[in-house]
Amino acid sequence: MRRTYLLEIVMIAVAVAFMFPVYILISLSLKDPPQISQSPLALPNPPTLDNFASAWSAAALGPSLMNSTVITVVSLVALITLGSFASYFLARVKSGLGYGLYILFLLGIVLPFQLGMIPLYQLVTELGLIGTHAGLILFYTGIQLPFTVFLYTGFIRALPREYASAAQIDGASHLVAFTRVVFPLLRPITGTVLILNAVFIWNDFFTPLIYLGGSGFETIPVSVFAYVGQYVSQHGLVFAGLVLGALPIVLVFLVLQRYVIKGFSSGLKG
Amino acid sequence: MPDLLHNARVSRGQFLRMMGGLAAAGFVTACSTRPETTASTGGGQSTTELKFIGVADQKAPMDELVAAYQKVRPTVRLTTSYAPTDQVQTSIRTQLGAGNAPDLHVVFPGSGSAMSMSEIAGAGLLADLSGQAWTRTIPEGFKPAFQAGGKTYMYSAGSSVIGAVYNKKAFEKAGIEAPPTTWSEFLAVCDKLKKAGLVPIALGAQTPWVTQLITYALVPSTVYAKDPTFDDKQLAGQASFADSGWRQAMEMYLELQKRGFFNDKPNGTTFEQQTSMVATGKAGMAIQVSAVLPDFRKAASSPDDLSMFPVPGADDAASVWIPAGVVVGLGAGAKGKNVEEAKAFVDFLGKQENINAWAKAIAAIPLTQDASSTIDAAVQSFLPFTKDRAVPFMDQRWPNAEVQPVHFAVIQELLAGDATIDDALKKMDEAYKK
Amino acid sequence: MTVLTAFRSRARATGRRVSADTPSWLFAAPALVVYALVVLYPAVSGMVYAFTDWSGIGEDRSFVGLANFGTLLGDEQAMGSIGNTILLTVAVVAVQNGVGLLLALGVNAKLKSRGLLRVIFFAPVVVSPVMVAFLWKYLFNPDPSAGLNGLLGLEVDWLGDPSVALWSIAGMVVWQYAGYSMVIFLAGLEGVPKELYEAAMIDGAGTWQRFRYVTWPLLAPAVTINLMLSTIGGLKLFDQVFAATNGGPGYATETLSTVLYKQAFVFGKFGYSTAIALVLALFVAAVSLVQVYYLRGREVTA
Repeated sequence: MRRTYLLEIVMIAVAVAFMFPVYILISLSLKDPPQISQSPLALPNPPTLDNFASAWSAAALGPSLMNSTVITVVSLVALITLGSFASYFLARVKSGLGYGLYILFLLGIVLPFQLGMIPLYQLVTELGLIGTHAGLILFYTGIQLPFTVFLYTGFIRALPREYASAAQIDGASHLVAFTRVVFPLLRPITGTVLILNAVFIWNDFFTPLIYLGGSGFETIPVSVFAYVGQYVSQHGLVFAGLVLGALPIVLVFLVLQRYVIKGFSSGLKG
Repeated sequence: MPDLLHNARVSRGQFLRMMGGLAAAGFVTACSTRPETTASTGGGQSTTELKFIGVADQKAPMDELVAAYQKVRPTVRLTTSYAPTDQVQTSIRTQLGAGNAPDLHVVFPGSGSAMSMSEIAGAGLLADLSGQAWTRTIPEGFKPAFQAGGKTYMYSAGSSVIGAVYNKKAFEKAGIEAPPTTWSEFLAVCDKLKKAGLVPIALGAQTPWVTQLITYALVPSTVYAKDPTFDDKQLAGQASFADSGWRQAMEMYLELQKRGFFNDKPNGTTFEQQTSMVATGKAGMAIQVSAVLPDFRKAASSPDDLSMFPVPGADDAASVWIPAGVVVGLGAGAKGKNVEEAKAFVDFLGKQENINAWAKAIAAIPLTQDASSTIDAAVQSFLPFTKDRAVPFMDQRWPNAEVQPVHFAVIQELLAGDATIDDALKKMDEAYKK
Repeated sequence: MTVLTAFRSRARATGRRVSADTPSWLFAAPALVVYALVVLYPAVSGMVYAFTDWSGIGEDRSFVGLANFGTLLGDEQAMGSIGNTILLTVAVVAVQNGVGLLLALGVNAKLKSRGLLRVIFFAPVVVSPVMVAFLWKYLFNPDPSAGLNGLLGLEVDWLGDPSVALWSIAGMVVWQYAGYSMVIFLAGLEGVPKELYEAAMIDGAGTWQRFRYVTWPLLAPAVTINLMLSTIGGLKLFDQVFAATNGGPGYATETLSTVLYKQAFVFGKFGYSTAIALVLALFVAAVSLVQVYYLRGREVTA
């Protein structure tokens, strides 16, 4: 019992040290310039929300929040649908061809994005999707499929086949078995897929700049970095902008955090 | 289990419908979120949408001028995006490479960078602006920055200078009455600042582009004052970095470091930290380009605390030259759908009052001047030089985009004590010849 | 339309097999189409540039065969960056997973604060790497009164000293992703049956022995995934290096990713850059294949 107590103290100490950068981020965003230059490490005294007010209005984060949300949510729906269906097949198929297909998907994880950047941009242009949400949604769905398939396939392989088989004995097709029985069982890994893909899509800065740049549809990172670029040395304003930009995804994580760990746990055996 | 779905064929049909539905949903999203490139307005006229992508420094002047243009030409709507230089460069080069550039985008003056006027115009991707009235008044010395093959491809509102941005209060505190006009006076000023317990020169060499500014401030005096045609000779292979005043400039750079005139650990100090050191009076000055004066002023308690003076790179005040380069500009894509409208906007920017407005927003010296032109008080002391003792920023005449990054890297190596001036100049000469 | 009909008739023909153990390949078809469109086709057609001298813009390009790969062999800077890439990867992989494992063992115990601790350690993962780099650049201020130096009473030139900068970047990456490794290890730990521990206790095994002979072998799948993901991430690491040092000071933190980026977008040598990207891709694929092959071999089942 005493050892657990000691461990608890050690772990809390580690967590406090670990939080130091976050403390700096938040405390600086609550300080005015004299406080930042005179006492960069101290607690804000008194704290001010001025930085947040000016960051919110100067960076025009309202519309960007909308764009980022639409793009992230639709991409996630597409990724979860396409990824889970494909993985159900890839996890169950026994032929060498099926395994080859799985490896083909995993190849996407190792390819540097620079390789296909220009042809992909040309393709999206030809589809008439530059400057639209749909262009980015297509991009994210494709680019994140390998990782999604990797997570789902591992998880499904570890699921007992009996669930689906039982449904099929009742005469249900694979589609019904999948949507009614298997998919609900995938909830933990779906949570993991959701959060990890959301993190990537929400935070991506470069692609929205290329695909949406100048279209008037900015995403949060694009707005935040345009803003940050203008206030280089005013750390209070810059950090307030960074906090606002990260806040939505951090909140999503806090809501979904239980699934993140659970999802991995059964997927490992795949 | 539900028996209405037991037929495999039906469910596959459903599956396909579902996928079709998904595709349709994607399509609907695409349509609903697509900006209307041509939509009719009340008067039956159509609206043209123009895209602009620029660097963060351009946001302040563009916001003002785009709003003004809206009033002059309500049928054209400009949508703009801004980002830090590196990301903009990547983004626009990808778009140019794929043949789908924005209607208007940032262009760097002259040659010597992957986003430079001559590089992009050379690939046939910038619209020719030569017909516009303002292009006929570009001062002779600036033409290489705007023109390739006698045609104008870039708009820029004026020029900025490189010099010392200094904190007046810090100078007062150190008992310095007037800015120095010779190199030995400059060293004496640094000494006084140091004795007063201040950092004489803040240097943020962690930020790559900051590394070059001290060399750029000195080279006009050590190279071009002695030989104004150095660029042409170097292009012809008759001159090199190693056998020129570049060596002297680098020696002077390192002398400043040896005498302890820089802050500790310049390679670990960023532009942001450099700015706030000067703005808060911890440091006396920073050698910087006048275009970032607004950043220094925003960080200072009062904008009037800051001013600039030319860095005297010679011991004879009469042979001090200064760097004055055309500021980052913009161009119209040659292959866009609305080239004429894009050019019309550039023509609007070329009007004297708009040149004045843009120049004012970034503390630049307007390209051409009239009675209403204002020149920032901080750069007044540079004006006597601009006529015949000023040279463009060095990279604007370099033949390829590799020399400048090599310059950044060798300065960092010199400051770290990891290289000699010989190594540094040799690497730059090698990059120049690539 | 014809394609759809073909799908249907084929499905009808194989109707009985479909409801057997293997689902129809139509399950994978939509994903495959999108994947092929967005990843495979562009990558394959992009590879072609590796054999040209294209600048990246304009129509001017010609076929140069394997010349770009020859250039790479003689490119001091690019070859030097391979060394940095490997050092950075090894450091990140070793420390991130070491720290991740310790954190996982810590928060796997019956602590009152375990739920909160898990959230804290994982939280940096969800923030954008570029924002993290921004924050850490502030913390890496060499001024002894600010940032990390101020906290720890040090005078380290974190990003400015060429012999330190690479490790500072590694530290920043580890801070951000140690929680990621922790979560995967935690998942592995949850799969270790309690009875095995009890049996080991009865046999008189100490803490270390229980870890060495029970926990560690059963963590093998988690180790495989962690090593593979962090190795791929380390070899491809770009955003953090680019935002923190841009390869400097000098060339001290230049990695393959920053070199290929600069060739493409700063120097205007897109063809050469693609050749480097291709080499990087092959390298990453080879390393991960060897890793998986070797590590899967030592996995045991619970």
